Amino acid sequence: MISRVADHCFWFGRYMDRAESTARLLQVTRTLVFDADIPVTQCWKPLVIVAGLEEMFIERFGQENIGNGELVQNYMTWEPENPVSLRTSIRSARESARVIRDVLSLESWEEVNELYHWLGGDEAGALYRQNREQFYRRVRKSTQLVLGLVRSTMLHDTPMSLLWAGAMLERAGQTARILDMHPHTMTLESAHQIVEVAVWLSLLRACSGYEAFVKKVQGRISAQAVASFLVFDRRFPRSLRYCLLSAKQILLHIWPEGDRPGPGHAPYARLDALTSWLDKQEATANPSVIHALLTRVVDDTALICSDIGREILGPPQPEKKPPMASQTQSQSQEPPDVRRPKPEKIDRIGGKAGVQ
Amino acid sequence: MSLALLFDTYQPIAGTFDEMIDAEGNPRAHARRATKILDGLTPKEFAHAQSLAELSLYSQGVTFSVYSDQRGTEKIFPICLVPRVISGAEWTRVEKGLAQRIAALCAFLDDIYGPQKILTSGTVPADLILGAKFYLPKVRGIRPPGGVRIPIAGIDLIRSPDGVFRVLEDNVRTPSGVSYVVENRLVTKRIFQSAIDESAVRPVEQYPMHLAETLRAISPVDPAETRMVLLTPGSFNSAYFEHTFLARTMGVELVEPGDLFVDDDTVFVRTIRGPERVHVIYRRIDDAYLDPEFFRPDSLLGVPGLMRAYAAGNVALANAPGNGVADDKAVYPFVPDMIRYYLGEEAILAQVDTYVCTRPDDLKYVLANLSQLVVKAVDEAGGYGMLMGPQASAAEIEEFRARIIAEPRRYIAQHRVELSTCPTWVPGAEKLAPRRVDLRPFILTQPSGSWVLPGGLTRVALVEGSYVVNSSQGGGSKDTWVQKDKSL
Repeated sequence: MISRVADHCFWFGRYMDRAESTARLLQVTRTLVFDADIPVTQCWKPLVIVAGLEEMFIERFGQENIGNGELVQNYMTWEPENPVSLRTSIRSARESARVIRDVLSLESWEEVNELYHWLGGDEAGALYRQNREQFYRRVRKSTQLVLGLVRSTMLHDTPMSLLWAGAMLERAGQTARILDMHPHTMTLESAHQIVEVAVWLSLLRACSGYEAFVKKVQGRISAQAVASFLVFDRRFPRSLRYCLLSAKQILLHIWPEGDRPGPGHAPYARLDALTSWLDKQEATANPSVIHALLTRVVDDTALICSDIGREILGPPQPEKKPPMASQTQSQSQEPPDVRRPKPEKIDRIGGKAGVQ
Repeated sequence: MSLALLFDTYQPIAGTFDEMIDAEGNPRAHARRATKILDGLTPKEFAHAQSLAELSLYSQGVTFSVYSDQRGTEKIFPICLVPRVISGAEWTRVEKGLAQRIAALCAFLDDIYGPQKILTSGTVPADLILGAKFYLPKVRGIRPPGGVRIPIAGIDLIRSPDGVFRVLEDNVRTPSGVSYVVENRLVTKRIFQSAIDESAVRPVEQYPMHLAETLRAISPVDPAETRMVLLTPGSFNSAYFEHTFLARTMGVELVEPGDLFVDDDTVFVRTIRGPERVHVIYRRIDDAYLDPEFFRPDSLLGVPGLMRAYAAGNVALANAPGNGVADDKAVYPFVPDMIRYYLGEEAILAQVDTYVCTRPDDLKYVLANLSQLVVKAVDEAGGYGMLMGPQASAAEIEEFRARIIAEPRRYIAQHRVELSTCPTWVPGAEKLAPRRVDLRPFILTQPSGSWVLPGGLTRVALVEGSYVVNSSQGGGSKDTWVQKDKSL
């Protein structure tokens, strides 16, 4: 498989899953505002912080606006300068999809393309203004549909594995960030029981984990139980452990020898170390140390993604001429009819995690 | 109101050949079935089908990028669902003419980049050829692997008022548009399945298969061992949709120049498991951007060393570099002479009388009659660099006069041909009206001979009174129905 195409497959998976998480998080935060008796600003501010956008946001809108729900939603939905807004993620996903058009199935491509055009059209703007809930729902459904179509209509081969590895690693980072949004509710004693339950439930909803969780604990909701479910559960497809273990398996599909020194070893080894470390935390983890755990997962996931990037694009080929080296970075030189730069790859997994 | 009524009010333009309706307003014999089936739809139903077709092309991303738009806007190539029907017997003759023309052009290129006998014979003026913008002296002496210089050609045909198909221009570098032929058929089929069956229309979906076979046939290694790639400038190229379409439907990889590199005169593609060898490149990149070592030492574009690998016979390029000398518009008038010279035959397909401005007599005539002529720059395409004399302002004519006097070699002129028309849906007016069309058939050539895609791309000038069919200038397209030839 061609390195440049592989790189875009990986990023397509990441952008798609990122768009889905963002839409879900926005949707859930809106309900949190109604359900929990906490100041509105305390609902929206963490969202900006875990997205790693605090500095950018404050510079643009000022400290006083960081809890302004409308502003945050506009910024996270439409802002083209925001590297992780829905518009940016979907535009980048669609640009990558165009590049990998020959490996993507027609159905998956059509859905991404329609979503992209829809989001850029009047209809989406009107829905956003008139029925915010439906708007986020529509974005979520389309992104989920794309990822579902990928699995059910694409050849289960290296391109899909790469795409899915991207989605899984992105999702691990996302779940860690979502869980880290309200860390104080994890550590406080039960003084604000009602508030906390509302927050935990919203975290679960943000990860589509509410029903699965309730089934598992049969009503015994506690900070410990929520954290342990979203971090350690082996069967819940958005838990950190599930995502990381899946990613590990997928890496072995892509580089079957990856567990030995050689091609594909670097990301595999790092991922293996992370999952083993996570295993050891299960017995000792309590909500008070959860922030440290999440930070490590976020940081390591970022490193694993860059390791994968290096494996995919390969070491620079032995060239007689220097310009070729830069071309291995999938930023190849193009004839003059190329007007726009390629989609920027925005890695925010490495950003600052959590509310201090 | 039925479409029959629309056909009743349909009036071909006087002095112009209409593809579907004769001068008395009756459907031509071969088009009778197709028009009768359209009859079953009301204008409202037809308009609905039109909008569905356009929406489907848009969602599928069957688009091209508009060069003049800095933001890289994508547009669909508008389709008109009224097909253009060509009778089987007529097509058989066109096919023969196209194969003949390609055979002569291939022989011409082999000769020009070899012994140059045709120049010594005086059949074609040497200064015209050796001075052509796309003549590549450095390619002379290189024998292309596989031996075919024009595996893929697109020859533009028009039909004059006498009903005769004439060649308007040759495209033997990187002709585009074939993906729209296949996509248009898919769309039309959904709506007019029975019409297509009943009219005995020949299929077009097999093009990618034939293309793959054609490319494999020029491989420097065993066809079974051949790795083929399609080389695109990238996703912002205006024809990117077509590049992905062909790569997908042939099942070959789509690569950009940065994915390839040359080592020891051998081409490799970078994969996630290391470099792998490439044997055949269907390149959709102009000569100038193929290899900076060979063409532009100051450029970073292209694959350095690609031409060395080509010269060493280790990689086949389709089409061959240097082909532009054969589709130069000033060389076009000499094609019938080439056919005579190389094949000893008379040209089957007519062409359009052309004034070559390097010839003093022609130049004099052109300058004296600018307001009646169509002037074209020999090295431009896409409807650019053109003067439509009869529709031009005095200022435009004077501007062209100055340009022609400054560089006569760059210009040719022709009398405006009254391009044939085809009934075309006019949105807004909700009726059919005659609009001018051309036809670009695609010809695939292997050492064993040529295969012509039955039909080709019918482009239509959607604007009333317009003669310019180019997609970049407000043109649309139609599905082209070639019927089975019953005499075969």
